Amino acid sequence: MELKEASISRRNLLRGAATAALLLPFGATLASCAAPGGGGGGGAGTGKVTADNPFGVAANSKVDAVIFDGGYGVDYVESAAKIMEANKKLGGVSVKVSSTQKIATELQPRFVGGNPPDLIDNSGANSIGWNTILSQLETLDDVLDSNNLEGTKISDTLFGGVKAPGTFDGKFVALNYVMTVYGIWYSSSLFEENGWTVPTSWQDLKALGEAAKAKGKYLFLWGQEAATSYQTMVVDSAVIQAGDDVRLPLENLDAKAWSHPAIQGILEILYDLIKSGYVKPGGAGTKFTEAQAQWSLKQEALLYPSGSWIENEMKKQTADNFKMKGFAELPLDGSQTTPKGTMRAEAGEPFIVPSNAKNPAGGKELLRTMLSKESATAFAKAKLAPTIVKDTVPADGFGSTALVSQSELLATAGDNVFTIKSFNLYGMNGDQLPIWNSFLEGKMTVADITAALQGLTDKIREDSSITKIEIK
Amino acid sequence: MTLSTTDGGPGSATAAVISAKAGRRKPLRLGGRKLTFDFVSFLLVFLILPLAIFLIFVIGPFAQAVYYAMTDWTGFSPDMKFVALDNFVRLFKDPTFLRAMGNNIILAVIVPLVTLTIALIFASMITIGGPSGGQVRGLKGSSFYRIVSFFPYVIPAIVIGILWSMIYTPSGLLNGLLGLIGIDTNNFAWLGDENTAMGASIFVIVWGMVGFYMVLFIAAIKGVPAETYEAARLDGAGRFRTTVSITLPLIRDNVQTAYIYIGIMALDAFVYMAALNPVRNPSTVVMSQYLYSTAFEKFQFGLASAMGVVLAVITLLFAAVVFVVNWATGGRKDGGRA
Repeated sequence: MELKEASISRRNLLRGAATAALLLPFGATLASCAAPGGGGGGGAGTGKVTADNPFGVAANSKVDAVIFDGGYGVDYVESAAKIMEANKKLGGVSVKVSSTQKIATELQPRFVGGNPPDLIDNSGANSIGWNTILSQLETLDDVLDSNNLEGTKISDTLFGGVKAPGTFDGKFVALNYVMTVYGIWYSSSLFEENGWTVPTSWQDLKALGEAAKAKGKYLFLWGQEAATSYQTMVVDSAVIQAGDDVRLPLENLDAKAWSHPAIQGILEILYDLIKSGYVKPGGAGTKFTEAQAQWSLKQEALLYPSGSWIENEMKKQTADNFKMKGFAELPLDGSQTTPKGTMRAEAGEPFIVPSNAKNPAGGKELLRTMLSKESATAFAKAKLAPTIVKDTVPADGFGSTALVSQSELLATAGDNVFTIKSFNLYGMNGDQLPIWNSFLEGKMTVADITAALQGLTDKIREDSSITKIEIK
Repeated sequence: MTLSTTDGGPGSATAAVISAKAGRRKPLRLGGRKLTFDFVSFLLVFLILPLAIFLIFVIGPFAQAVYYAMTDWTGFSPDMKFVALDNFVRLFKDPTFLRAMGNNIILAVIVPLVTLTIALIFASMITIGGPSGGQVRGLKGSSFYRIVSFFPYVIPAIVIGILWSMIYTPSGLLNGLLGLIGIDTNNFAWLGDENTAMGASIFVIVWGMVGFYMVLFIAAIKGVPAETYEAARLDGAGRFRTTVSITLPLIRDNVQTAYIYIGIMALDAFVYMAALNPVRNPSTVVMSQYLYSTAFEKFQFGLASAMGVVLAVITLLFAAVVFVVNWATGGRKDGGRA
């Protein structure tokens, strides 16, 4: 009996404590978490603005850069950081370059706490959504207006259209460093062997598919996580065919965006190719790396739509005699309304400078260093990809056929380049993937996929909690 | 404290002395117990400290998540607007979320049932399923089986996921083996087809989990006196009858605990499902995957927190259902130990 009583009173004590446990943090969090952090900003002060120090980096200040560690690594920023540290005209600065593959997850607490780094490469699958941080970023026009380390005005040294992918609501906030060309890639040696010619519009694909089938090959193949590269191909092709008529409704989430005749015509052809058995089935259950190796190593399919990172990505898994080349995505037919050579080319790897970082001038100075001819050429040579700085790739493309064809495509296109931003902007890729997997597997008709993609677009447009950005 | 500094007269000093004397005369009490140093330090170390840690690191984040669930927080700014229950209303109108919830419920029903049934069968075989003459013992070589079936549990879940996604791939091991025995699967994409993806995923989870619960049940069965089994055998009970009528009722508590553990795992299932089905197809998407993408792809942390709250409530409900079922099927006769 005694024991039992003791246990009851102990239980009462615990009960009281538990009640406190439930009530206390509730009150505390309600009061505190509504506004986590704050403060921060402007820690380093500013130095004197001179021609050699255009942003006024304070002497002996520290620069904190966080770089996405993806296909291009982080060493290119590290070597630019060394150049910057050795730059005597800045009066000695120290640069800390850290790498991560989870930009959003890692930097979230620093943004909320008002203590973001001075320079961020906001790239990769876990990058921070633009509409969430737009108001917290510095505009970077002054970087392009300044002179590079060799003394030329930076904006004069760049490819056309490099500002477009980093401009939101008219504010240029992200400097995309690496030039990416979207195209359809193939083995020129395989084409030569078989006497195939490169298609010039979607109308040519069926014949090529037939020829491929005769050789026991497919025309296209895909992997589950990269199914939307076919969406990229379809959308880009439609923009090449019909220009802003297609692009602007898609970018601004129009209610009829996916019903444009150019998109519909291309989808019909793609559906026909799938139904004719020219697209390798089973992609929905295949990892994209494995699928890409089936194209580059086993050469089971002739063509693969992708960005120009594909060469670097598949470097170790490409057949020996595979001379990789690319051509721009194809118009629907011969009557394209855009100038010949128009293509999707956009600068990728967006670098941003948060406004309330401790040393935003230092972040900009590091960018300026990276845009100097020396750093840009070193990047192109090491990564076999051009930066946004022109004339850094020699005629032999450092021995890479794919890099040569990228340079050729960019030269042909000139200023006629465009980009599609809204899919990434609103984080739509994850929801589009199952739809495209299903379509490529032949389980959806053109009407089905149009309705499904339009449904996604409509859902975002009608969701008032998502900040929309008008794209021009 | 501040009072005594501003009002430093002799009167207040005497008052302090008096109260101190009174304190010495009448020891402070809590619930009829003297507040000795031993008792207070005991409370401090064994109750207040763990409680504080629990409050700060467990209850605190919970409460915070519940609060965030009622805001439109984007995750990257200190500003947020209170939107009350809007997020929950949106969730229950979102077909993808409802689909994900349905898939989680399928997992929570099937995975524990299949895993624990297999685990119980294996455990019985290894402990009492041996020859029907002589001492009650397991099958020949049972210790070997026990070790082998524990292997999958030693491998991290993410590795299991990657391993099996390679086995299931169209040109993978499974189709190859089926081809060897004469079944041409025509490079079937097991995880790519909506009819097989869920079943294939469930198989992987069960494969990874059976070993652990088998070992758990073996330990429980070893706690049952061998005489019980001998008596059952003398009465002519076969292996199946022994398992259902003797083993199961006697290890009821272990089964209930196992059911709740594995159920919680099935309601989460993030690692397995994300590794096996990186594309969020409607037939396999689970709440935790959708939550992750809402937070870190679409940056709707408020909405994602609401999903977390719903997931937590479903988990609690699941545990409650398991308790009720156990009680209703006869657990109460056990003296209410559950």
